[in-house]
Amino acid sequence: MTYFNQVFAIAGKDLRSELRTKEALNASLSFAVVILLLFSFVVDPDSEMLEQMSGGLLWMVFAFSGVLILNRGFARELPNDCLDALIASPIPGSALFFGKAIANFALIAIIEAICFPVFGILYNLTWTAQLPVLVAVSALATWAMATLGTMFGALTVNMQLRELMLPMLIYPMLIPALMSAMQLTTLLVAGQAIDSEHVIWLRVLIAFDIIFTSLAAVLVETVLVG
Amino acid sequence: MRDKLIYGAGIFAALYFVRNLYVILLQLPDEAMQGAVYRIFFFHLPPYFTAVACFLGAAIASGLYLKTKNWKYDVFAVSATEVGLALAAINLVTGMIWGRQQWGIWWTWDARLTSALITWLIYLGYLMLREGIKDPSERAKNSAVLSIFAFFAVYFTYKANEWYRTQHPGPVLTIRTGKNTIDPAMQAMLFHNLGAFLLLAVVLVAVRMNLENSQRAVESLRRRAHAIA
Amino acid sequence: MDQRNFEYMFYGLAAAWTILCLYALLLTSRGRKIQSEIDHLKRMLDSSPKK
Repeated sequence: MTYFNQVFAIAGKDLRSELRTKEALNASLSFAVVILLLFSFVVDPDSEMLEQMSGGLLWMVFAFSGVLILNRGFARELPNDCLDALIASPIPGSALFFGKAIANFALIAIIEAICFPVFGILYNLTWTAQLPVLVAVSALATWAMATLGTMFGALTVNMQLRELMLPMLIYPMLIPALMSAMQLTTLLVAGQAIDSEHVIWLRVLIAFDIIFTSLAAVLVETVLVG
Repeated sequence: MRDKLIYGAGIFAALYFVRNLYVILLQLPDEAMQGAVYRIFFFHLPPYFTAVACFLGAAIASGLYLKTKNWKYDVFAVSATEVGLALAAINLVTGMIWGRQQWGIWWTWDARLTSALITWLIYLGYLMLREGIKDPSERAKNSAVLSIFAFFAVYFTYKANEWYRTQHPGPVLTIRTGKNTIDPAMQAMLFHNLGAFLLLAVVLVAVRMNLENSQRAVESLRRRAHAIA
Repeated sequence: MDQRNFEYMFYGLAAAWTILCLYALLLTSRGRKIQSEIDHLKRMLDSSPKK
Protein backbone atom coordinates (compact mmCIF):
# COMPACT_ATOMS: atom_id res chain seq x y z
CA MET A 1 0.00 0.00 0.00
CA THR A 2 1.33 3.39 -0.86
CA TYR A 3 1.59 6.01 1.82
CA PHE A 4 -1.42 7.93 0.54
CA ASN A 5 -3.52 4.80 0.45
CA GLN A 6 -2.60 4.08 4.04
CA VAL A 7 -3.48 7.59 5.15
CA PHE A 8 -6.81 7.55 3.39
CA ALA A 9 -7.60 4.06 4.60
CA ILE A 10 -7.31 5.27 8.19
CA ALA A 11 -9.19 8.47 7.46
CA GLY A 12 -11.91 6.58 5.67
CA LYS A 13 -12.26 4.11 8.53
CA ASP A 14 -12.67 6.88 11.07
CA LEU A 15 -15.07 8.89 8.95
CA ARG A 16 -17.18 5.87 8.13
CA SER A 17 -17.49 4.80 11.75
CA GLU A 18 -18.34 8.32 12.84
CA LEU A 19 -20.81 9.02 10.07
CA ARG A 20 -22.65 5.78 10.71
CA THR A 21 -23.37 6.54 14.37
CA LYS A 22 -23.03 10.32 14.21
CA GLU A 23 -22.64 10.38 18.02
CA ALA A 24 -19.88 12.93 18.32
CA LEU A 25 -21.13 14.87 15.34
CA ASN A 26 -24.61 15.32 16.79
CA ALA A 27 -23.32 16.24 20.22
CA SER A 28 -20.84 18.68 18.76
CA LEU A 29 -23.36 20.27 16.45
CA SER A 30 -25.98 20.75 19.15
CA PHE A 31 -23.35 22.21 21.42
CA ALA A 32 -22.27 24.64 18.69
CA VAL A 33 -25.81 25.82 18.02
CA VAL A 34 -26.46 26.26 21.74
CA ILE A 35 -23.38 28.43 22.13
CA LEU A 36 -24.41 30.49 19.13
CA LEU A 37 -27.75 30.98 20.83
CA LEU A 38 -26.15 31.91 24.16
CA PHE A 39 -23.99 34.53 22.54
CA SER A 40 -27.06 36.43 21.50
CA PHE A 41 -27.40 37.28 25.17
CA VAL A 42 -23.81 38.40 25.42
CA VAL A 43 -24.02 41.03 22.76
CA ASP A 44 -27.03 42.81 21.34
CA PRO A 45 -27.68 40.98 18.07
CA ASP A 46 -28.43 44.13 16.13
CA SER A 47 -25.51 46.22 17.22
CA GLU A 48 -22.39 47.07 15.33
CA MET A 49 -20.32 45.34 17.97
CA LEU A 50 -21.52 42.03 16.65
CA GLU A 51 -19.77 42.63 13.34
CA GLN A 52 -16.54 43.25 15.18
CA MET A 53 -17.02 40.17 17.30
CA SER A 54 -18.18 37.82 14.57
CA GLY A 55 -14.80 36.19 14.02
CA GLY A 56 -14.16 35.77 17.72
CA LEU A 57 -17.60 34.31 18.34
CA LEU A 58 -17.43 31.87 15.47
CA TRP A 59 -14.01 30.53 16.36
CA MET A 60 -14.91 30.15 20.02
CA VAL A 61 -17.83 28.04 18.89
CA PHE A 62 -15.62 25.94 16.62
CA ALA A 63 -12.93 25.53 19.25
CA PHE A 64 -15.37 24.34 21.92
CA SER A 65 -17.37 22.03 19.72
CA GLY A 66 -14.25 20.84 17.90
CA VAL A 67 -12.77 19.53 21.14
CA LEU A 68 -15.78 17.27 21.55
CA ILE A 69 -14.87 15.65 18.27
CA LEU A 70 -11.15 15.56 18.98
CA ASN A 71 -11.77 13.80 22.27
CA ARG A 72 -13.28 10.90 20.38
CA GLY A 73 -10.36 10.62 17.97
CA PHE A 74 -8.13 8.16 19.80
CA ALA A 75 -10.62 7.29 22.52
CA ARG A 76 -12.64 5.48 19.87
CA GLU A 77 -9.79 2.97 19.56
CA LEU A 78 -9.61 2.00 23.21
CA PRO A 79 -12.32 -0.67 23.46
CA ASN A 80 -11.33 -4.11 22.20
CA ASP A 81 -7.64 -3.14 21.98
CA CYS A 82 -8.11 -1.50 18.62
CA LEU A 83 -5.36 0.97 19.44
CA ASP A 84 -2.85 -1.82 19.91
CA ALA A 85 -3.94 -3.32 16.62
CA LEU A 86 -3.46 -0.02 14.84
CA ILE A 87 -0.05 0.52 16.35
CA ALA A 88 1.00 -3.02 15.49
CA SER A 89 -0.09 -2.62 11.89
CA PRO A 90 2.65 -2.12 9.31
CA ILE A 91 1.80 1.48 8.49
CA PRO A 92 4.17 4.22 9.65
CA GLY A 93 3.09 6.23 12.68
CA SER A 94 2.89 9.41 10.64
CA ALA A 95 0.40 7.76 8.26
CA LEU A 96 -1.78 6.87 11.24
CA PHE A 97 -1.47 10.42 12.50
CA PHE A 98 -2.33 12.02 9.17
CA GLY A 99 -5.26 9.67 8.63
CA LYS A 100 -6.77 10.55 11.99
CA ALA A 101 -6.01 14.24 11.54
CA ILE A 102 -7.73 14.28 8.16
CA ALA A 103 -10.77 12.53 9.60
CA ASN A 104 -10.95 15.03 12.48
CA PHE A 105 -10.47 17.86 10.01
CA ALA A 106 -13.36 16.64 7.90
CA LEU A 107 -15.67 16.30 10.88
CA ILE A 108 -14.88 19.75 12.25
CA ALA A 109 -15.29 21.13 8.73
CA ILE A 110 -18.80 19.67 8.65
CA ILE A 111 -19.59 21.48 11.89
CA GLU A 112 -18.26 24.72 10.44
CA ALA A 113 -20.12 24.33 7.20
CA ILE A 114 -23.35 24.07 9.15
CA CYS A 115 -22.55 26.76 11.69
CA PHE A 116 -21.69 29.51 9.22
CA PRO A 117 -25.15 29.62 7.62
CA VAL A 118 -26.82 29.22 11.03
CA PHE A 119 -24.80 32.15 12.27
CA GLY A 120 -25.77 34.19 9.23
CA ILE A 121 -29.42 33.43 9.81
CA LEU A 122 -29.49 33.96 13.58
CA TYR A 123 -27.59 37.23 13.48
CA ASN A 124 -28.79 38.51 10.16
CA LEU A 125 -25.38 38.86 8.55
CA THR A 126 -24.34 38.16 5.02
CA TRP A 127 -21.07 36.33 5.26
CA THR A 128 -20.56 35.04 1.74
CA ALA A 129 -18.98 38.13 0.22
CA GLN A 130 -15.45 36.71 0.45
CA LEU A 131 -16.41 33.06 0.41
CA PRO A 132 -13.35 31.44 -1.27
CA VAL A 133 -10.89 33.22 1.01
CA LEU A 134 -13.07 32.50 4.02
CA VAL A 135 -13.08 28.82 3.16
CA ALA A 136 -9.30 28.85 2.78
CA VAL A 137 -8.75 30.60 6.11
CA SER A 138 -11.17 28.27 7.87
CA ALA A 139 -9.42 25.28 6.35
CA LEU A 140 -6.03 26.46 7.62
CA ALA A 141 -7.28 27.10 11.13
CA THR A 142 -9.26 23.86 11.24
CA TRP A 143 -6.16 21.98 10.16
CA ALA A 144 -4.26 23.61 13.06
CA MET A 145 -6.95 22.40 15.44
CA ALA A 146 -7.00 18.92 13.92
CA THR A 147 -3.22 18.57 14.06
CA LEU A 148 -2.83 19.66 17.66
CA GLY A 149 -5.96 17.80 18.69
CA THR A 150 -4.89 14.53 17.14
CA MET A 151 -1.39 14.84 18.57
CA PHE A 152 -2.57 15.58 22.08
CA GLY A 153 -5.26 12.97 21.75
CA ALA A 154 -2.47 10.46 21.23
CA LEU A 155 -0.64 11.86 24.27
CA THR A 156 -3.62 11.64 26.58
CA VAL A 157 -5.31 8.50 25.29
CA ASN A 158 -4.38 6.36 28.29
CA MET A 159 -5.21 8.91 30.94
CA GLN A 160 -8.24 8.75 33.16
CA LEU A 161 -8.99 12.45 32.97
CA ARG A 162 -8.52 12.51 29.23
CA GLU A 163 -11.57 14.65 28.53
CA LEU A 164 -10.29 17.32 30.90
CA MET A 165 -6.64 17.20 29.89
CA LEU A 166 -7.17 17.49 26.17
CA PRO A 167 -8.79 20.95 26.22
CA MET A 168 -6.36 22.06 28.91
CA LEU A 169 -3.42 21.18 26.67
CA ILE A 170 -4.85 22.27 23.33
CA TYR A 171 -6.30 25.71 24.00
CA PRO A 172 -3.21 27.59 25.17
CA MET A 173 -1.13 26.21 22.34
CA LEU A 174 -3.80 26.88 19.76
CA ILE A 175 -4.07 30.55 20.66
CA PRO A 176 -1.87 31.99 17.86
CA ALA A 177 -3.86 30.07 15.25
CA LEU A 178 -7.18 30.96 16.85
CA MET A 179 -6.15 34.60 17.12
CA SER A 180 -5.25 34.76 13.45
CA ALA A 181 -8.42 32.96 12.42
CA MET A 182 -10.56 35.30 14.49
CA GLN A 183 -8.94 38.41 13.05
CA LEU A 184 -9.21 37.20 9.48
CA THR A 185 -12.73 35.84 9.85
CA THR A 186 -14.02 39.12 11.28
CA LEU A 187 -12.55 40.86 8.28
CA LEU A 188 -13.87 38.40 5.72
CA VAL A 189 -17.35 38.05 7.19
CA ALA A 190 -17.66 41.83 6.97
CA GLY A 191 -16.93 41.48 3.28
CA GLN A 192 -13.50 43.07 3.13
CA ALA A 193 -10.51 41.53 1.42
CA ILE A 194 -7.33 40.80 3.32
CA ASP A 195 -5.28 43.97 3.09
CA SER A 196 -1.60 44.47 3.75
CA GLU A 197 -2.28 45.27 7.38
CA HIS A 198 -3.89 41.92 8.01
CA VAL A 199 -1.85 39.65 5.80
CA ILE A 200 0.45 39.06 8.76
CA TRP A 201 -2.28 36.94 10.34
CA LEU A 202 -2.43 34.76 7.27
CA ARG A 203 1.32 34.28 7.51
CA VAL A 204 1.04 33.39 11.19
CA LEU A 205 -1.62 30.82 10.40
CA ILE A 206 0.36 29.21 7.59
CA ALA A 207 3.56 29.15 9.64
CA PHE A 208 1.69 27.64 12.58
CA ASP A 209 0.30 24.88 10.38
CA ILE A 210 3.63 24.05 8.81
CA ILE A 211 5.61 24.03 12.03
CA PHE A 212 3.19 22.01 14.10
CA THR A 213 2.31 19.55 11.38
CA SER A 214 5.98 18.71 10.83
CA LEU A 215 6.63 18.51 14.55
CA ALA A 216 3.67 16.20 15.05
CA ALA A 217 4.56 13.99 12.10
CA VAL A 218 8.05 13.51 13.50
CA LEU A 219 7.06 12.92 17.13
CA VAL A 220 3.86 10.88 16.84
CA GLU A 221 5.69 7.61 16.28
CA THR A 222 7.50 8.13 19.59
CA VAL A 223 4.25 8.77 21.41
CA LEU A 224 2.37 5.81 20.04
CA VAL A 225 5.11 3.23 19.98
CA GLY A 226 7.78 4.51 22.34
CA MET B 1 30.37 16.62 47.55
CA ARG B 2 27.51 17.51 45.26
CA ASP B 3 25.34 18.50 48.19
CA LYS B 4 28.09 20.76 49.49
CA LEU B 5 28.30 22.40 46.10
CA ILE B 6 24.58 23.06 46.10
CA TYR B 7 24.70 24.51 49.60
CA GLY B 8 27.61 26.70 48.64
CA ALA B 9 25.88 27.91 45.50
CA GLY B 10 22.74 28.61 47.51
CA ILE B 11 24.60 30.70 50.04
CA PHE B 12 26.41 32.54 47.30
CA ALA B 13 23.11 33.26 45.56
CA ALA B 14 21.63 34.57 48.81
CA LEU B 15 24.58 36.87 49.37
CA TYR B 16 24.44 38.02 45.77
CA PHE B 17 20.78 38.91 46.24
CA VAL B 18 21.55 40.82 49.40
CA ARG B 19 24.19 42.83 47.60
CA ASN B 20 21.83 43.46 44.69
CA LEU B 21 19.02 44.59 46.96
CA TYR B 22 21.38 46.99 48.63
CA VAL B 23 22.32 48.52 45.31
CA ILE B 24 18.73 48.54 44.04
CA LEU B 25 17.29 50.20 47.09
CA LEU B 26 20.02 52.56 48.12
CA GLN B 27 22.41 53.31 45.35
CA LEU B 28 20.56 53.47 42.07
CA PRO B 29 19.37 56.84 40.84
CA ASP B 30 15.68 57.61 40.68
CA GLU B 31 13.63 57.29 37.59
CA ALA B 32 12.18 60.51 36.30
CA MET B 33 8.53 59.59 36.09
CA GLN B 34 7.84 56.46 38.07
CA GLY B 35 9.29 57.18 41.46
CA ALA B 36 10.35 54.24 43.52
CA VAL B 37 8.18 51.65 41.88
CA TYR B 38 10.45 51.17 38.86
CA ARG B 39 12.76 49.17 41.07
CA ILE B 40 10.31 46.28 40.78
CA PHE B 41 11.68 45.94 37.27
CA PHE B 42 14.75 44.17 38.61
CA PHE B 43 12.50 41.45 39.98
CA HIS B 44 10.25 41.39 36.96
CA LEU B 45 12.46 40.91 33.93
CA PRO B 46 15.28 38.65 35.23
CA PRO B 47 12.83 35.98 36.47
CA TYR B 48 11.28 35.96 33.02
CA PHE B 49 14.58 35.42 31.23
CA THR B 50 15.52 32.76 33.76
CA ALA B 51 12.18 31.03 33.32
CA VAL B 52 12.62 30.97 29.55
CA ALA B 53 16.12 29.57 30.03
CA CYS B 54 14.64 26.85 32.27
CA PHE B 55 11.99 26.00 29.71
CA LEU B 56 14.57 25.85 26.96
CA GLY B 57 16.69 23.57 29.13
CA ALA B 58 13.68 21.39 29.76
CA ALA B 59 12.91 21.17 26.04
CA ILE B 60 16.49 20.20 25.22
CA ALA B 61 16.53 17.63 28.03
CA SER B 62 13.26 16.23 26.72
CA GLY B 63 14.74 15.84 23.26
CA LEU B 64 17.77 14.12 24.74
CA TYR B 65 15.53 11.82 26.76
CA LEU B 66 13.64 10.77 23.66
CA LYS B 67 16.93 10.02 21.96
CA THR B 68 18.75 8.21 24.73
CA LYS B 69 16.02 7.08 27.15
CA ASN B 70 18.28 8.11 30.02
CA TRP B 71 16.17 8.91 33.10
CA LYS B 72 18.49 11.71 34.14
CA TYR B 73 17.11 13.87 31.34
CA ASP B 74 13.53 13.27 32.36
CA VAL B 75 14.34 14.23 35.96
CA PHE B 76 16.01 17.42 34.73
CA ALA B 77 13.10 18.28 32.45
CA VAL B 78 10.46 18.12 35.16
CA SER B 79 12.64 19.98 37.67
CA ALA B 80 13.52 22.76 35.24
CA THR B 81 9.87 23.14 34.20
CA GLU B 82 8.67 23.42 37.77
CA VAL B 83 11.28 26.01 38.71
CA GLY B 84 10.57 27.89 35.49
CA LEU B 85 6.88 27.92 36.35
CA ALA B 86 7.59 29.45 39.76
CA LEU B 87 9.79 32.12 38.18
CA ALA B 88 7.21 32.86 35.50
CA ALA B 89 4.66 33.30 38.28
CA ILE B 90 6.94 35.88 39.87
CA ASN B 91 7.11 37.65 36.52
CA LEU B 92 3.33 37.72 36.18
CA VAL B 93 2.62 38.89 39.73
CA THR B 94 5.26 41.62 39.79
CA GLY B 95 4.08 42.75 36.38
CA MET B 96 0.53 43.01 37.64
CA ILE B 97 1.52 45.01 40.69
CA TRP B 98 3.67 47.33 38.65
CA GLY B 99 0.94 47.72 36.06
CA ARG B 100 -1.63 48.46 38.76
CA GLN B 101 0.47 51.37 39.88
CA GLN B 102 1.50 52.61 36.47
CA TRP B 103 -1.60 52.14 34.36
CA GLY B 104 -4.21 51.85 37.09
CA ILE B 105 -5.31 48.38 36.04
CA TRP B 106 -4.41 44.94 37.37
CA TRP B 107 -4.41 43.33 33.96
CA THR B 108 -4.46 44.26 30.33
CA TRP B 109 -4.51 42.04 27.31
CA ASP B 110 -1.43 43.34 25.66
CA ALA B 111 1.11 41.25 23.79
CA ARG B 112 3.67 40.39 26.44
CA LEU B 113 1.36 39.91 29.37
CA THR B 114 -0.89 37.67 27.32
CA SER B 115 1.94 35.55 26.00
CA ALA B 116 3.41 35.31 29.52
CA LEU B 117 0.09 34.03 30.83
CA ILE B 118 -0.26 31.59 27.95
CA THR B 119 3.26 30.30 28.57
CA TRP B 120 2.43 29.76 32.21
CA LEU B 121 -0.73 27.84 31.33
CA ILE B 122 1.05 25.69 28.78
CA TYR B 123 3.64 24.54 31.29
CA LEU B 124 1.00 24.09 33.96
CA GLY B 125 -0.56 21.67 31.47
CA TYR B 126 2.78 19.88 31.32
CA LEU B 127 2.77 19.33 35.07
CA MET B 128 -0.86 18.22 34.97
CA LEU B 129 -0.05 15.71 32.25
CA ARG B 130 2.70 14.25 34.40
CA GLU B 131 0.33 13.96 37.33
CA GLY B 132 -2.16 12.09 35.22
CA ILE B 133 0.08 9.35 33.88
CA LYS B 134 1.16 6.73 36.38
CA ASP B 135 3.55 4.54 34.41
CA PRO B 136 7.01 6.18 34.68
CA SER B 137 8.31 5.47 31.20
CA GLU B 138 5.08 6.46 29.46
CA ARG B 139 4.97 9.57 31.63
CA ALA B 140 8.52 10.48 30.70
CA LYS B 141 7.95 9.86 27.01
CA ASN B 142 4.69 11.75 26.71
CA SER B 143 5.78 14.71 28.77
CA ALA B 144 9.00 14.91 26.77
CA VAL B 145 6.97 15.24 23.57
CA LEU B 146 4.75 17.84 25.21
CA SER B 147 7.75 19.80 26.42
CA ILE B 148 9.11 20.07 22.88
CA PHE B 149 5.73 21.15 21.55
CA ALA B 150 5.39 23.61 24.41
CA PHE B 151 8.62 25.38 23.68
CA PHE B 152 7.77 25.82 20.03
CA ALA B 153 4.32 27.04 20.99
CA VAL B 154 5.75 29.50 23.50
CA TYR B 155 8.10 30.98 20.96
CA PHE B 156 5.34 31.16 18.39
CA THR B 157 2.91 32.76 20.80
CA TYR B 158 5.48 35.35 21.76
CA LYS B 159 6.16 36.26 18.14
CA ALA B 160 2.49 36.27 17.16
CA ASN B 161 1.60 38.50 20.07
CA GLU B 162 4.35 40.92 19.14
CA TRP B 163 2.43 41.83 16.02
CA TYR B 164 -0.53 42.88 18.12
CA ARG B 165 -0.66 46.44 19.32
CA THR B 166 1.15 46.60 22.61
CA GLN B 167 0.75 48.68 25.70
CA HIS B 168 3.82 47.19 27.26
CA PRO B 169 7.02 49.19 27.37
CA GLY B 170 9.22 48.41 24.42
CA PRO B 171 12.70 46.96 24.63
CA VAL B 172 15.04 49.01 26.80
CA LEU B 173 18.16 46.90 26.93
CA THR B 174 20.98 48.29 24.82
CA ILE B 175 21.56 44.93 23.20
CA ARG B 176 18.09 45.14 21.69
CA THR B 177 17.78 48.82 20.89
CA GLY B 178 21.40 49.40 20.02
CA LYS B 179 21.56 52.76 21.69
CA ASN B 180 21.39 54.25 25.15
CA THR B 181 17.82 54.29 26.32
CA ILE B 182 18.56 53.16 29.82
CA ASP B 183 20.92 54.38 32.49
CA PRO B 184 24.03 52.17 32.36
CA ALA B 185 23.96 51.65 36.11
CA MET B 186 20.43 50.31 35.84
CA GLN B 187 21.34 48.07 32.95
CA ALA B 188 24.32 46.70 34.84
CA MET B 189 22.07 46.04 37.83
CA LEU B 190 19.64 44.23 35.58
CA PHE B 191 22.35 41.85 34.45
CA HIS B 192 23.53 41.40 38.04
CA ASN B 193 20.07 40.40 39.16
CA LEU B 194 19.75 38.16 36.15
CA GLY B 195 22.92 36.42 37.26
CA ALA B 196 21.56 36.06 40.78
CA PHE B 197 18.31 34.58 39.49
CA LEU B 198 20.12 32.17 37.20
CA LEU B 199 22.22 30.98 40.11
CA LEU B 200 19.13 30.62 42.25
CA ALA B 201 17.42 28.66 39.48
CA VAL B 202 20.38 26.29 39.28
CA VAL B 203 20.18 25.68 43.03
CA LEU B 204 16.42 25.14 42.96
CA VAL B 205 16.62 22.80 39.97
CA ALA B 206 19.32 20.78 41.74
CA VAL B 207 17.20 20.52 44.89
CA ARG B 208 14.15 19.55 42.87
CA MET B 209 16.15 16.91 41.01
CA ASN B 210 17.24 15.43 44.33
CA LEU B 211 13.60 15.34 45.33
CA GLU B 212 12.61 13.59 42.10
CA ASN B 213 15.35 11.01 42.49
CA SER B 214 14.26 10.36 46.07
CA GLN B 215 10.68 9.96 44.86
CA ARG B 216 11.77 7.28 42.42
CA ALA B 217 13.82 5.57 45.11
CA VAL B 218 10.72 5.54 47.30
CA GLU B 219 8.66 3.96 44.58
CA SER B 220 11.12 1.16 44.01
CA LEU B 221 11.56 0.64 47.77
CA ARG B 222 7.82 0.50 48.14
CA ARG B 223 7.57 -2.23 45.57
CA ARG B 224 10.29 -4.23 47.31
CA ALA B 225 8.87 -3.71 50.77
CA HIS B 226 5.36 -4.72 49.81
CA ALA B 227 6.62 -7.71 47.89
CA ILE B 228 8.64 -9.01 50.81
CA ALA B 229 6.77 -7.82 53.91
CA MET C 1 15.53 57.51 47.34
CA ASP C 2 12.49 58.99 45.75
CA GLN C 3 9.57 58.19 48.01
CA ARG C 4 6.82 58.34 45.39
CA ASN C 5 5.01 55.04 44.92
CA PHE C 6 7.13 53.45 47.58
CA GLU C 7 4.18 51.30 48.69
CA TYR C 8 3.78 49.60 45.36
CA MET C 9 7.47 48.91 45.09
CA PHE C 10 7.32 47.27 48.47
CA TYR C 11 4.33 45.15 47.44
CA GLY C 12 6.09 44.13 44.26
CA LEU C 13 9.30 43.08 45.93
CA ALA C 14 7.39 41.38 48.73
CA ALA C 15 5.35 39.42 46.19
CA ALA C 16 8.48 38.25 44.38
CA TRP C 17 10.16 37.06 47.56
CA THR C 18 6.97 35.50 48.91
CA ILE C 19 6.57 33.35 45.82
CA LEU C 20 10.19 32.26 46.01
CA CYS C 21 9.91 31.39 49.70
CA LEU C 22 6.64 29.55 49.17
CA TYR C 23 8.23 27.45 46.46
CA ALA C 24 11.28 26.72 48.57
CA LEU C 25 9.03 25.73 51.48
CA LEU C 26 7.03 23.49 49.16
CA LEU C 27 10.19 21.73 48.08
CA THR C 28 11.45 21.22 51.62
CA SER C 29 8.14 19.95 52.93
CA ARG C 30 7.92 17.47 50.05
CA GLY C 31 11.49 16.44 50.83
CA ARG C 32 10.66 15.80 54.44
CA LYS C 33 7.63 13.70 53.53
CA ILE C 34 9.66 11.60 51.13
CA GLN C 35 12.42 11.16 53.68
CA SER C 36 9.98 9.96 56.33
CA GLU C 37 8.47 7.52 53.85
CA ILE C 38 11.92 6.21 52.93
CA ASP C 39 12.67 5.70 56.62
CA HIS C 40 9.38 3.90 57.16
CA LEU C 41 9.97 1.62 54.20
CA LYS C 42 13.56 0.89 55.27
CA ARG C 43 12.26 -0.09 58.69
CA MET C 44 9.68 -2.32 57.07
CA LEU C 45 12.36 -4.00 54.99
CA ASP C 46 14.73 -4.43 57.91
CA SER C 47 12.12 -5.83 60.25
CA SER C 48 10.65 -8.27 57.75
CA PRO C 49 11.81 -11.91 57.84
CA LYS C 50 14.86 -12.33 55.64
CA LYS C 51 14.33 -14.76 52.79
